[in-house]
Amino acid sequence: MSLADTLQELKESATGRIARASSLDELEAIRVETVGRKGVLAGAGKEMAQVAKDERAAMGQLLNAVKAAIESALEERTSAFQAAALTARLDAEWMDLTVPAPGVNPGALHPVTQVQRYLEDVFTSMGFAVLSGPEVETEFHNFDALNIPPTHPARDMQDTFWLEGGRLLRTHTSPVQVRGMKRLGAPLRMIAPGRVFRNEEVDPSHEHTFYQLEGMMVDREVSIAHMLYFMKTLLKEIFQREVTVRLRPGYFPFVEPGFELDIQCLLCGGGGCAVCKYTGWVELLPCGLVHPNVLRAGGIDPGEWNGFAFGLGLTRLAMMRYGIDDIRLLQSGDLRFLNQFR
Amino acid sequence: MKFSANWIAELAPGLAVKPHELGALITTKTAECEGTEAYAPFLDHVRLARVLDVRPVEGSKNVHATIDAGPLGRKQVVCGAPNCRAGILTAWVMPGAELKGGRKIGTAQVSGLESEGMLAAGDEIGVNREHDGILEFSEGAPGDPLPGIAPDHIIEIDNKSLTHRPDLWGHLGMAREVAAITGVALRDPVPEVEWAGEPPLRVEIEDYELCPRYSALVFENVTIGPSPLWLQYRLESIGLNPISNIVDVTNLVMAELAQPTHAFDADLLKGSTIYVRRARPGERVQALNEEEYALDGQALVISDEGGAEAIAGVIGGRPTGIHSGTRRVVLESANFQAASIRKTSSRLKLRTDASMRFEKAQDPHNTVRALARCWELFQMVSPGIRLAGGLVDNAAPVKPPPVIRLDLAWLNRKIGRAVDRQEVERILRSLAFGVEPEGAEALAVTAPSWRATKDISIAEDLVEEIGRMIGYASIPPRPPLAPSEPPPDSPEREYQYELRRRASAQGFTEVYNYSFLSEELAQRFGFPPEEHIQVLNPIASDQGLMRISLVPRIVRNIEDNARHMDSFRLFEMGNEIHKRAGATDDGLPAEIPHLVAALYAKDGGGEAGLFELKRLAGILAPGVEVSPAGAARCFEHPRRAWTLKSHGETVGRVFELHPSHCEHGRGAILDLDVAALFRLRPAPVKYKPLRRFPVSEFDLSVVAGSRVEAGVVRSLLLRAGVPTLLGVEFVGQYEGAPLAADEKSLSFRVTLGAADHTLSADEITAGREQAIAAVQAAGYQLRM
Repeated sequence: MSLADTLQELKESATGRIARASSLDELEAIRVETVGRKGVLAGAGKEMAQVAKDERAAMGQLLNAVKAAIESALEERTSAFQAAALTARLDAEWMDLTVPAPGVNPGALHPVTQVQRYLEDVFTSMGFAVLSGPEVETEFHNFDALNIPPTHPARDMQDTFWLEGGRLLRTHTSPVQVRGMKRLGAPLRMIAPGRVFRNEEVDPSHEHTFYQLEGMMVDREVSIAHMLYFMKTLLKEIFQREVTVRLRPGYFPFVEPGFELDIQCLLCGGGGCAVCKYTGWVELLPCGLVHPNVLRAGGIDPGEWNGFAFGLGLTRLAMMRYGIDDIRLLQSGDLRFLNQFR
Repeated sequence: MKFSANWIAELAPGLAVKPHELGALITTKTAECEGTEAYAPFLDHVRLARVLDVRPVEGSKNVHATIDAGPLGRKQVVCGAPNCRAGILTAWVMPGAELKGGRKIGTAQVSGLESEGMLAAGDEIGVNREHDGILEFSEGAPGDPLPGIAPDHIIEIDNKSLTHRPDLWGHLGMAREVAAITGVALRDPVPEVEWAGEPPLRVEIEDYELCPRYSALVFENVTIGPSPLWLQYRLESIGLNPISNIVDVTNLVMAELAQPTHAFDADLLKGSTIYVRRARPGERVQALNEEEYALDGQALVISDEGGAEAIAGVIGGRPTGIHSGTRRVVLESANFQAASIRKTSSRLKLRTDASMRFEKAQDPHNTVRALARCWELFQMVSPGIRLAGGLVDNAAPVKPPPVIRLDLAWLNRKIGRAVDRQEVERILRSLAFGVEPEGAEALAVTAPSWRATKDISIAEDLVEEIGRMIGYASIPPRPPLAPSEPPPDSPEREYQYELRRRASAQGFTEVYNYSFLSEELAQRFGFPPEEHIQVLNPIASDQGLMRISLVPRIVRNIEDNARHMDSFRLFEMGNEIHKRAGATDDGLPAEIPHLVAALYAKDGGGEAGLFELKRLAGILAPGVEVSPAGAARCFEHPRRAWTLKSHGETVGRVFELHPSHCEHGRGAILDLDVAALFRLRPAPVKYKPLRRFPVSEFDLSVVAGSRVEAGVVRSLLLRAGVPTLLGVEFVGQYEGAPLAADEKSLSFRVTLGAADHTLSADEITAGREQAIAAVQAAGYQLRM
């Protein structure tokens, strides 16, 4: 048999075996046997010397072509095996991610914390300082400094928790007005969120412990018109929509004039519904121009400065935002309730 | 406070506003209206009718009556009232009426007979509270509407919004507001009376501060009986109970003029002098409400020669009250100091219609006006009544109301829009303020006497009067001019938020607990009650102390939630309140913010939870170190309590609850002093250059007693004085053969290195030997 025939036959038998091979190992064996360094083709290369000189070039080409054909067939089949193996591995790696992830899920911040944080951000962006005040207060800061004379009903035993030594638990966040004025002076923009206490029986809509946010702005020229603008802007931020507000007279000793600020009912748009008791308006916050006596108590000259102040019910806002219908849940420590605010 | 719309309309003639709109107007301009409700609308279907004849109904107490309803014809009605008899003029409810509670009146079969409508008792149509018989009228014609008894609307005003307005506790005051708002005239119901004759009584006032004025009249030839039905109806409609003619008039005048008065039976008073004085300590008054009150020396009483007969401004006495046989009456109309009345009324826990009005600081000018109005009405309700003598009036001189200078430019700046000078004057005059020009730019304003007692004293008060009357809706919102500078920050607050955020990210849910706890709860946790600040007037006895630790309430949270969940995590950020003074300059108690986290698992040995809390502590306070607590507190597991330190300072504690405080499962608690953590918080990170030379590591295994803490051995290694030491890390521990039963092996990886070169073999060996020597010096063996 001529060398050419031998090569031709080798090519055919090798490609045939490659096509029939059933594993990567088998392919490797064929590779070693045929195109390996000590394989058949290498042996055929040695026989080249005996080939006639004029045929040598053609024979060399043939040898290369056979080698290339076998290698290409090996390559192709190897890739196919690798692809199949990868596919099989990936298939074996099927998993179920619908089972719960190991580890701990995040907890929730208290709904009042979340509302308070949101409001603090809103106010800070409007240039307000966020201040704190003590929960145990003096009579002076809680009452006298706020123009609440000793005979005012707010001082009655039924409203205030009195402590030994003439101290009391603050009944509102308003004492921080005076503390803030003393600390920062005028002009001033501040809020003071915090826990307050009223001596009231607890029921679904009353708590003896709840949260307020006091706000105050003191400057040279502060008018009702400015307060209105500010409140509208603020409420737009809080409710994330335009709100219609109205002021009506309200009596609070630390402001003059004093107002109740109502917003047009967000539920019915003012048409009247159960939430607004069919009036179209919802009472939202008390506010007013700071009484000159309060400015004086804060060490600020009312002839030179004036301001407005307001009080937001944080607890109430949280209840409105989350649709909470029983105020007692907020202090219950019941995780079935609190975990809903994740 | 309830207001009758009809009554207001009588005092503000020409008023053309519907009752519901009136309520809304009052809300936006004066005081908060809580609601407006129709009162007795069915009276449109009630007419006078005369009973013509009455026939008994067999087998029934009822009678069958023929009535004459004038132009409406004769009707047959069945009636069960004992006073249903021929000749009386009564109230006939026509078929088609719908009474209180939706009771429909038609033509019905009663006792087998047809009844066209019905004859009404007082309580059935809202005239009074009588149900013993049908109403009897003395005047009017059959077929007419009931005289002076018409459908009304009741406007309910929130009492709180009247706190500063003594005048609005009567219809005249509210009518004045309504007249000013709507621009109609006001009609004063008080007649002009010329008082003549010697005062028949002497009045001695001990302290004019407490009683600035005491006026009185004495009446004789009085007949006591029921009031006319129109008067009873008026009282009933605003929630006052009709009693008798004289008492009803005093109540009517109180509801009209806001001035409380009191009628004594003159023949039951001893002597002819009335003393207004402080009570003698322990002095008792039997009051009209059938209670007896023991007074202290601060209460003010009205006394005769025999002793206290009434608690001034609060309630009259029963022994000298009006009764069916009263023939002579002393009518008191006085003015009392608001604070004194409020104190007495709250001390006695007795709030009356009178005390509610006096505690708002009533107008001393009003006493004699109320007497004049009562005198006029007495003559209508008790024919033949006579004045005995003249007016009794003992008064301290009244200070004239201050003149307030109102700068008009200032007013406009306060309001935020210009208000015309004429408009300002018109508004103030409509509210009965005195207004005089003071130059071109200002007004001299005098408040009416009923606003000057407490309500109006400075120019700011006038801003409110103008503002509410022009309407706050007429003020365009305007942005304030304010410097746009960043506000001062509050790092402590931000720090606390960061802790909350981290705790919740680690799976802990935030709870809020009360600041109160009970003595019993404090004791259960071994906190001595006397270390707590006491609440003098707690809501409930279990809330009498201020918390000095958040832990007891957190343990309560664990108990509560363990009923529903097998495992959970929670935390609270709140203040401990201690008796010792805090940092403020006014000596207030120290309020120390703490973060207390708790972890509960029904199953397991508790270790995992404690490690989780340790991890949390490290996340909240990086670098915090755990060391054994020594003595555990009574609610702590005796072998599972540790203190947490930062920079050598104690900042908290972590422990497992003692089984006596957590019966089922395991509860672990982390308690951090947030004030201390804030003080010791890490400084801003300063970058360290990356290491350029390789480090060397080797492991050491140390044999120690089974209760020796790895941390103890680790700190030996750290403090061994190895100059090239970079760190020591715990790798693991082993117990078992070949170690003794009470031994274990602790393995550490020690890292050595230098910033400026690669360590030589000698340096590494020297370091290793120094470390081993330190361990051995402390009595531990190395495991090879």
